[in-house]
Amino acid sequence: MIKMNKDKLKELANDLLFDMADQEYDTLLKEFDELIALMDLLGEIPNVDRGEPMIFPFAVTNTYLREDEAGTPLTKEEFLSNTPDSFAGQVRLPKVVN
Amino acid sequence: MDYTTLTIKELHALYVEGKVTPLEVVKQAIEKAKKDKTNSLEAVTFEQALEMATLLSATAVEVDNPLWGIPYFIKDNISTKGVETVASSNILKGYIPHFDAEVVARLKTKKAISLGKTTLDELAMGGSGMSGHLGRTYNPFDPKKERMIGGSSAGSASVVASGFVPFALGSDTGDSVRKPASYAGLVGFKPTWGRISRYGLFPFAPSLDAVGYFTRSVADAAILLDVLAGRDDKDLTSSFEKVEDYTKYTTSVKGIKIALIKGISDNISNPTLKEHYEQTLVELAKRGAIIEYVEIEKSLLNALFSTYFVISCAESTSNNANLDGVKFGARKEGKTYIDVIKNTRTAGFSALIKRRFILGSYSLKQENQELLFRRAQKARRLIVEAVNKVLTTHDFIYSPAAPGVAPLFDKKSDNLNIAHLIEDNHLVIGNFAGLPSITIPVCLDNGLPIGVNLTGRAFSEKALFGFAAAIEDITGLKNLQVEDK
Repeated sequence: MIKMNKDKLKELANDLLFDMADQEYDTLLKEFDELIALMDLLGEIPNVDRGEPMIFPFAVTNTYLREDEAGTPLTKEEFLSNTPDSFAGQVRLPKVVN
Repeated sequence: MDYTTLTIKELHALYVEGKVTPLEVVKQAIEKAKKDKTNSLEAVTFEQALEMATLLSATAVEVDNPLWGIPYFIKDNISTKGVETVASSNILKGYIPHFDAEVVARLKTKKAISLGKTTLDELAMGGSGMSGHLGRTYNPFDPKKERMIGGSSAGSASVVASGFVPFALGSDTGDSVRKPASYAGLVGFKPTWGRISRYGLFPFAPSLDAVGYFTRSVADAAILLDVLAGRDDKDLTSSFEKVEDYTKYTTSVKGIKIALIKGISDNISNPTLKEHYEQTLVELAKRGAIIEYVEIEKSLLNALFSTYFVISCAESTSNNANLDGVKFGARKEGKTYIDVIKNTRTAGFSALIKRRFILGSYSLKQENQELLFRRAQKARRLIVEAVNKVLTTHDFIYSPAAPGVAPLFDKKSDNLNIAHLIEDNHLVIGNFAGLPSITIPVCLDNGLPIGVNLTGRAFSEKALFGFAAAIEDITGLKNLQVEDK
């Protein structure tokens, strides 16, 4: 694992498309030490890396195909009613190409 | 008479006898909720509730429908058509779902009456009831407001413990129903993974998430599962397993085998809890139950929280990527669409949530994934195998639901720390293995409740309710709530 520092944390936050107050990065840096301690506990399990990862508690099988029925579960008006900004029946955002 | 302090079963009996109408009950519930001192309420739907109650009061009672006219609340991470649903997060402010979650739809069909939505830890990611956008949710058992009710289903626990309504919906990803139930003297139930549809539940960590609920009696918990259990084609993880008549459980414990896990059940520090926990076991043994200590490798127990933390943070980071202010939510403008998303997420998420997302994202990075996320998933398998092995020889696992009474706010936070690794986190076993699990009160310590937890085999809900009802009978702790003073 890489050694963590504030700049790397800021990169991670930027990847997730948000920023934090400076003191929150300090808190997070301390939490990374806790995270490493937690990870050590996983490493103490005998043969932990030999097994397969568990994705879900148990297998779920859905082997049927539903009927292909046309419907309008959500109308355009309904969808746009939750949109912070819309224009001419579409979601409006700042221009991508000027 | 204060009808809202009754259980579902008791209230239904009064409806059937014609001694009270839904309108009278709903009016009482609303009056009490308006005086809420625990900061438990998000959007309320009192007018719609009164309309519905008026309508029902003019019709004949449905004798075979125990949920007819019963008021309840809904945790605010469960979608409600036409009612703002924000999961106690500023980023979702203004979001109004266009559909009901399956559980809400089923309760509507049964003519239960929703009074509105309840607070939670932001996006259900916490266990204190402190991190929602409205601030702390208080424990009604502590009038000084110094103690938490726990989370994340904080508001739902509080409204039932306050005696506003006989039940409330919650969700449980680590112990988010079962731990607050312990602190609030309630029955808190989490079903087998797939038993209750999660359609309309905001996903936190879908490999662990379950819709659960709070009641004030085991019988009421069974009544609700009768309605909520069953396959739903809208949730592909919901099960085809046969639904039983859950209210027809037996309270006989003769011959049932109960497992106590060493390292959990022999490690109780609260003397009142220890005394009542052991007394209950003595009484169960007198009634014919076989009680045995079993061992689970200590390294697996020590790794419970690590495993949960990595998996839940990683899954939540991914699941909440759609919260961007573009299609819905509280958008903050910017010069480019990237700025819009970034400004929205910066302003909309609390600092705690951001830190969890960063840790989750870190564990999913290609260079870390094997050592962090995949390793946690491998640990999960080993934990689940060990737990299921116990349940091949024993019917139930019996444990304390919490180390003691509800903690003081200043003694606990949602900041990451690894104290009380096992005592505070072992309920997550039920989520890892997808097992049905129920918390019920076992004692009061200076007026503050503490619960025990029972976990059974997958899809053994009916037997689990029977076992829980037997313990309820032993303790005599049923329909606990705080008197309105």
